[in-house]
Amino acid sequence: MINETNAGKDCPRAWEIMPWVLQATAPPEQGEWLMHHLAQCEACSTEFAQQSRLRSALALPADVAVDVNAGLKHLFERLDAPEPETLPDRLHSGSRLTRALAVAVLVQAIGIGVLGARLWSEQTPQYRTLSQPALLEPAGAIRVAPDASMTLANWDKLLHDFDLRVVDGPNAVGAYTVVVKGSPATSARLLQELRASRNIRLAEPVGNAP
Amino acid sequence: MTEARDEVDSRDRLLLKRMAAGDRVALETLYRAYHGGLARFLSRLTRRADLIEEIINDCFWIAWRKADGFHGDSRVSTWLMGIAYRCGLKALRQRGDQPVDDYALREGRGPSHDPDEDRQLRDWLGKALEHLSADQRVVIELVYGVGNSLEEVATITQAPVGTVKARLFHARVKLRNVLPVLAGELPAQREKLS
Repeated sequence: MINETNAGKDCPRAWEIMPWVLQATAPPEQGEWLMHHLAQCEACSTEFAQQSRLRSALALPADVAVDVNAGLKHLFERLDAPEPETLPDRLHSGSRLTRALAVAVLVQAIGIGVLGARLWSEQTPQYRTLSQPALLEPAGAIRVAPDASMTLANWDKLLHDFDLRVVDGPNAVGAYTVVVKGSPATSARLLQELRASRNIRLAEPVGNAP
Repeated sequence: MTEARDEVDSRDRLLLKRMAAGDRVALETLYRAYHGGLARFLSRLTRRADLIEEIINDCFWIAWRKADGFHGDSRVSTWLMGIAYRCGLKALRQRGDQPVDDYALREGRGPSHDPDEDRQLRDWLGKALEHLSADQRVVIELVYGVGNSLEEVATITQAPVGTVKARLFHARVKLRNVLPVLAGELPAQREKLS
């Protein structure tokens, strides 16, 4: 029998190679070595016998009865069926793709809307300073140019007396654009009175206004 | 042994080629060749005969579909066993089942026609496998029952070789401790290698 010193070295090696010797996939020299070791080691010999028995037991047919002919019949029926297994998956993936595309289009539309609104709001400011050029002259507008001696008080009084409102100006030559409050039309009489007013150098209708 | 497996693999590859061309006779031949082995392998995961048949048919349905995509990176038997293993786990997941933990369950077991010796061996094996986890049972089945290498088991179970090696080691240690007891023998020096 093998002594304890050899057992410490050889038994783990024997343990390691037993399954592969049982499978007959271990190299022949390993098999020969194991047989030699088993002849000397009772413990490994017992272990090898147990593993051989385990292998024999595992080689027995399945203990759950499964009919091969019935299984084969069911498989052929399945192959002949109009692919019920893949159809739902395909439909499912198709509908998922459609939903994903719809969401993408919706997000894109919202994005375009937000960008459009932003651009629109940038192009049409809700207020404008008088130093900025007028984009469009209002109907009935009059361009009025006060002289250098016009005081702010007199200018305010003139606007009040003629019921005028400044909508633009002063421009490069110091002229203001004014309109009559609540009336898009300008009369020739108003123009004459403005021209006759003190400290007014010029009063002319804008565009086609009289 | 290896030569015999190589011959079987050559035969299986030819069958796969024929299957890729739509040959149902080849499919039937391969089905019959592997039905027993797959049923035994899957019986380590579930004891339900109807589920085992369904998993085997899932496996061969996939094999039929993908026969032309087999590139020969492994043996056909390893390829099939891997498909069956994944189909088995998927089927159990879909039903909310776990691989059988109580291996003593005998539902769905057919009547035994075994000779006495086989029946005793079967009972002994059944009681022994009760002590293993499902992963350990699968490795034991593939190594001792099917004759796969560690690398093949790793391919089938899609686990690292190191993990397979550890599962095999722990399964063997458990079995070494229980097999002699189950056989009515005293465990001889069973602690020596642990």
